[in-house]
Amino acid sequence: MSRSVIPFGPQHPVLPEPLHLKLVMEDEKIVEAIPAIGYVHRGLEKLTEVKEYTQNVFVVERICGICSFMHAMAYCQGIESLMEIQIPDRARYLRVIWAELHRIHSHLLWLGLLADAFGFESLFMQVWRNREKVMDIMEETAGSRVIISTNAIGGTRRDISKDMLLKIRVIVDEIKEDMKQLEPVFFNDYTVKHRLVGVGVLTSEDAYSLGAVGPMARASGISQDLRTTGYAAYGELDFEPVVEKDGDSYARTMVRLKEVYQSVSLIKQAIANIPEGEISVPVKGNPNGEVIARVEQPRGEVLYYLKGNGTKNLERLRVRTPTFANIPTLLKMLPGSQLADVPVLILTIDPCISCTER
Amino acid sequence: MIENLVEISKEQLLSQVQSMKYDNYRFVTASCVDTGDGYLDVIYHFDLDLELKNFRVRVKKDEEVPSISKIYFCSVLVENEMKELFGLNVTNMAIDYGGHMLLSDDDLANPMAKQQIVIEKRGAK
Repeated sequence: MSRSVIPFGPQHPVLPEPLHLKLVMEDEKIVEAIPAIGYVHRGLEKLTEVKEYTQNVFVVERICGICSFMHAMAYCQGIESLMEIQIPDRARYLRVIWAELHRIHSHLLWLGLLADAFGFESLFMQVWRNREKVMDIMEETAGSRVIISTNAIGGTRRDISKDMLLKIRVIVDEIKEDMKQLEPVFFNDYTVKHRLVGVGVLTSEDAYSLGAVGPMARASGISQDLRTTGYAAYGELDFEPVVEKDGDSYARTMVRLKEVYQSVSLIKQAIANIPEGEISVPVKGNPNGEVIARVEQPRGEVLYYLKGNGTKNLERLRVRTPTFANIPTLLKMLPGSQLADVPVLILTIDPCISCTER
Repeated sequence: MIENLVEISKEQLLSQVQSMKYDNYRFVTASCVDTGDGYLDVIYHFDLDLELKNFRVRVKKDEEVPSISKIYFCSVLVENEMKELFGLNVTNMAIDYGGHMLLSDDDLANPMAKQQIVIEKRGAK
């Protein structure tokens, strides 16, 4: 049978960001897929060489709009480790609250996009209606909805009042209740299951050998979640990684939906246990030496390698984002699939091209 | 300081990576640093049960480094990235984008590398 090559992206209705794949087809079946990135590469790592290490907090936040807080959190944790800075306990809890709010809005964004990809518009709108509530909390606590800039080296820039903490607790409970009502549609609806069950199966062995991270790995039965290492205040909170075993698009949907409930629980625990006190400590001197910091973002593990030389400027700031680690899984999932499944398959890795093209 | 960091030579790289694969480590990524003295540091990061193990290989800028993508296929993107952004001479990659994964022909070559400015004396060759 003759083969043809179909370029998928960089501009495609299902992709919110430009990812480019070259799909080698035999009739409607994919036999090979080659990813091409670099369409919108921004060179932010180069930019960090000329910015001061304190200014880089704002640069790394702009790597990604969806997990901006967690980029800054990983970077700050790395610098704090390098400079042996102990941040106040209240700041550790505040970081958990904002980080989990980001995880909720990221997963809700993804669930909405997935519903949109398989043409379920009302489900898409219901999910995003809930996401708006999180964005409103961001605005009320930080003054902006997307890039909230509340992290600082040495703690946080802003505090959350007691009244606002109580309000957040009520809102996240509302979100959980609303999502519980939508849950049967994701889990039991015939058409939704038809588009997800058994589509894009990634075995546990393949996921591990291809370096999959986050919900991609956990949906294939790999119990791997960096929050269990106990950074920030996670070591004082009660949770278990959400793991599914089937490794298909349906399992990845279940992991992300259940992680929304998990984040609600973590936020409520953090609010119940947050201590009073300072939110930051003064920082003196410049970083010197090398460090690696890792944080569990909504899409999985992010790694920061930082090298300071005792000046205000870092010698090297290197970021490996979760999508960069999850792209190779597409090369395993796409061959053998039908062309019509490509949009859903690409979406199930929750690709963040903004992160990849940092 | 980075915990679990071992300095190895480029000749030891493939056997060391093979042994990581055998011990069921996950390949996390590789980080390249231009040290500014004509050398590149390449740090390979591996993970087992959320514990990192790192290997640093120090090579001259034009020196060849064997690809580990035949052992860990997922390293193919980061190896192409290091090749384009730093000029790291990685050989035998499973997929070689030929310098066009991130950069086009019009872009500055190796934009992450520290640029060497050589001032020649008048009359020198």
